[in-house]
Amino acid sequence: MARIIGGIGSSHVPTIGVAYDKGKQNDPAWAPLFDGYKPVAAWLAEKQADVLVFFYNDHCTTFFFDMYPTFALGVGERFPIADEGAGLRNLPAIRGNVDFQAHIAESLVNDEFDITVFQDKPIDHGCASPLPLLWPHQPDWPGTVVPVAINVLQYPLPTARRCYRLGQAVRRAVESYPEDLKVVVVGTGGLSHQVHGERTGFNNTEWDMEFLRLLEEDPEALMRMKHADYVRLGGAESVEQIMWLSMRGALGTGPLRKLHQNYYLATTTAMTVVLYEEGEPIARQTGPAAAAVA
Amino acid sequence: MNPQLEGIEQIPGTYAFDLRVSNRTLKINRFFWNMIGADWRDRFVADEEGTMDAAGLTEEEKALVRARDWLGLIRHGVNFFVLEKFGRVVKKTNLEIYAIMRGESFEAFMKTRRVPDAR
Repeated sequence: MARIIGGIGSSHVPTIGVAYDKGKQNDPAWAPLFDGYKPVAAWLAEKQADVLVFFYNDHCTTFFFDMYPTFALGVGERFPIADEGAGLRNLPAIRGNVDFQAHIAESLVNDEFDITVFQDKPIDHGCASPLPLLWPHQPDWPGTVVPVAINVLQYPLPTARRCYRLGQAVRRAVESYPEDLKVVVVGTGGLSHQVHGERTGFNNTEWDMEFLRLLEEDPEALMRMKHADYVRLGGAESVEQIMWLSMRGALGTGPLRKLHQNYYLATTTAMTVVLYEEGEPIARQTGPAAAAVA
Repeated sequence: MNPQLEGIEQIPGTYAFDLRVSNRTLKINRFFWNMIGADWRDRFVADEEGTMDAAGLTEEEKALVRARDWLGLIRHGVNFFVLEKFGRVVKKTNLEIYAIMRGESFEAFMKTRRVPDAR
């Protein structure tokens, strides 16, 4: 049986991809970001995760507003990484496991989660920005991705609660797949930022920390929030953090153990990566694991 | 009114992109979205007016594009995520566009950031 072995929350800022491609891993302005991903990449390598289920959003690249899906799942052996106006990146096409992706689509639809399916389409920075910080890509990616795109651009967006329920349905789908696959769920986006209008550059670190606490301890509180609440507290584009709730929903209703957290607000987005396993939290004040969380 | 957006009009400098806006601005958003294609980018660079005509932009929209009026385009209802594709074509970084939308020089904007040297 396939099973979920952990969850990752990660920003998907396009500039991460640009800095990665330019080799800025040791640049003083960027090292705190790249270094923050290393423990997560090491964990993925150690656990030998087979699949990453990516809850991400398309930035009006693969889909245009003339046909913009609320939820869409990708099926295919390969997904090229999208040209978003600056040309192609030097990364291998993202790998997929068609049978597993098809099973998830079947399970979701039979579970009354009527998801759109896309095939033979490129995938943009919503997934491709953090992916090479999580997995090596030379000569090729070590595992496959299940891309799940969520509309966080064109209102009406799915509610925060609906995103959580999508995660719950994905968990049921994973656990009903007969093959032994180790699956990690990834929720992308945020944290606080706004990149349009006069309010561009808005951040709220206090809210970011509260969001992370609630995600772990009280996701129900986040599910009750309206989109306008997210916009007010974290900036307009931070509403995409509802995608972290899909990751949270896929991790079950029990407690979470946070293994790592990195928060780096350099310019306009609070770039964050957090790693969770299911289980009792680590004691907060002592020990090396607590230090890693700090 | 979408109840999920209740109160959003009280948040300054923020323009919710909903279906009413999207329907009104579909052509100009498609014009910018097309910048993901190298052919369209080349065509735009070679003939800016011709591509705007082909995309069916209004005179008001053409003026906003000619002026590179980033904030004006947002206020008109262009979605930032297609606008940033246009940024790549006309060689403006997102940070530069952010400064302009705030009405600040790039240098002044970067001084407000926690890591002013980050690029």
